[in-house]
Amino acid sequence: MSETALMGESRQKLLLDLVGVRKTFDGFNAVERIDLSVMEGEFFTIVGPSGSGKTTLLRMLAGMDQPSDGAIYLRGESLNDMPANKRPTCLVFQSLALFPHMTVGQNIEFALKMRKIAPAARKARALELMRVVRLPETYYSKNVMKCSGGEKQRVALARAFAYDPEILLFDEPLSALDYKLRKTLEKELKDLHRETGKTFIYITHSLEEAMVMSDRIGVMRDGRLVQVGTPEEIYTKPSDKFVSEFMGEVNIVQVRPDGAGRYRSEDLAGSFTVNAPPSTDGYVVIRPEFLRFLASPSDADNHLTGRVHNEYSLGSRVQYQVRVGERMFLVEQPRRQSFGGGDVTIGWDAADAIFVAE
Amino acid sequence: MNQEQAALRTRTLLWVWTIFVIVVVYLPVVCSALASLTKSRYFLFPIRKWSFDWWDKTMASIEVSTLVKTSLMLAGSVTVLATLIGFFGALAFARYNWKGRSLFQKVVLLPIFFPQPVLGLALLLWFNALGLPLSWHTAVIAHLVWIAPVVTLVIAIQVYGFDPVVEEAAFDLGASRLQVMKEVTLPMLWPGIWSGMLFAFLLSWGNFPLSLYTSGADSTVPKWLFTKMIAGYTPMVPTLGTMSTLGAALVLSIGGVAVILARRRSN
Repeated sequence: MSETALMGESRQKLLLDLVGVRKTFDGFNAVERIDLSVMEGEFFTIVGPSGSGKTTLLRMLAGMDQPSDGAIYLRGESLNDMPANKRPTCLVFQSLALFPHMTVGQNIEFALKMRKIAPAARKARALELMRVVRLPETYYSKNVMKCSGGEKQRVALARAFAYDPEILLFDEPLSALDYKLRKTLEKELKDLHRETGKTFIYITHSLEEAMVMSDRIGVMRDGRLVQVGTPEEIYTKPSDKFVSEFMGEVNIVQVRPDGAGRYRSEDLAGSFTVNAPPSTDGYVVIRPEFLRFLASPSDADNHLTGRVHNEYSLGSRVQYQVRVGERMFLVEQPRRQSFGGGDVTIGWDAADAIFVAE
Repeated sequence: MNQEQAALRTRTLLWVWTIFVIVVVYLPVVCSALASLTKSRYFLFPIRKWSFDWWDKTMASIEVSTLVKTSLMLAGSVTVLATLIGFFGALAFARYNWKGRSLFQKVVLLPIFFPQPVLGLALLLWFNALGLPLSWHTAVIAHLVWIAPVVTLVIAIQVYGFDPVVEEAAFDLGASRLQVMKEVTLPMLWPGIWSGMLFAFLLSWGNFPLSLYTSGADSTVPKWLFTKMIAGYTPMVPTLGTMSTLGAALVLSIGGVAVILARRRSN
């Protein structure tokens, strides 16, 4: 939310417009009728499980695949017939696709060489970009295959910047890195986005990664965009069960109105107070951090009784698995508690749970 | 202590094996080199009188220089054509997915398994049927039938290890199709193309059965060596054989040094 505010009204110009974009491979719809607008300078992330069509969508934006139907407009002009080497877009591949027979410098200068820019000017620009992506100058003549994973990322990024695209496209470039390095690069990428002011379109299967970096997120499933919104909107108001599950580990209870103002769950054999529009079937989504152990059932709007099945340390928190009937519930606490073997009561307040319609 | 003994044993065995292999591989070459250094007209061991006479005679022989020239032209033409055909063949073999690909992959292999004397005879019959006069030109075609598939395979191995995504990346970075080929595809496939060329040259240079049938009156080095062995042995036979080996060693070491120098410069 704050990101959008920071960018100010003047930057909110429409850059990219997708109208009814569809892609069919041998009768199979990889992408189905996508309508989407991306603003200038925005960091937009498309997130979805593998096979959801997000890579196909990105490849259509880059110009490597053509839409079977629909159109992609850049500032009102159709990009459909423009090949990848003429588009003002540049893709950072999942495998990075660095040129293994070239040095770091030659990789970065590639786009400039294709434009027949003089060697001296190329080198100056490459060194400048290496500073931007935090690569030491001594790497200029280093064999690119001798660089570490993180350094290769930076080379790929600098190479894309050298093309000077209006839109940078990212196909899960961080997925092969270890956790700590990924976290560092996520932040750096966001910094670079701010510093360069370019439009970033990023795809990932990790909503966590999307949350850290994006101004807006689009969640994709089976070739469709199921929800588009700011990270906060996606987190607090998931449009359906799929999006809420995609958010990470959550507890989901299927409920039905009981006619007396409360909601009833079949598999838990109980009724609950739910903040939901009247007489709608749906799911109650309770995040593990909003479930808590109760001293007395009346301490929260809703409660359940079960037994602690197992516990896991998450470092900063402790997660408990609580068995209620046939179901497992996840409860997260800041500190370890000890329970005898007996029954425990867990509960949540109606305001902390999210209701999604069926 | 035990580990040291084991390491010593491994080292000793490795040395014994290496020396054994070298002796087995190089003894015949050494024999032929020795045979070329005799003064006598005949192939007799032990050599009684040593001399370089036959080397001088071989160098001066017009016959030998003609057939070396023919062999070089034949092998050179085959190298150029087989590499050209093999390069595009390898892309079709390993890079692109097309409808007849799996059939192509099998068909292209067949000539390699065909016995060369039979293949040579079959080609000779064809050339006669078509009315083509036999010379080293027809031998080029005959060699290609066998060597182009080999080169295709050699280059295809390199193509299999090539990630087509880098071509897309280059195209995405503004390169034209031609620039992609020149800046990315060719340089990355270069090691495979090199080995393909080397194979083509050596296989053509040393080929006897196909040349025997299809080069007509033109004689090549292997053809001449064979006919001389059958009728009219002179020590020029082992001399030319030794020269050929030394020549190949020279070419290989020049290539090796060039590669080392190029690598040093790029680092």
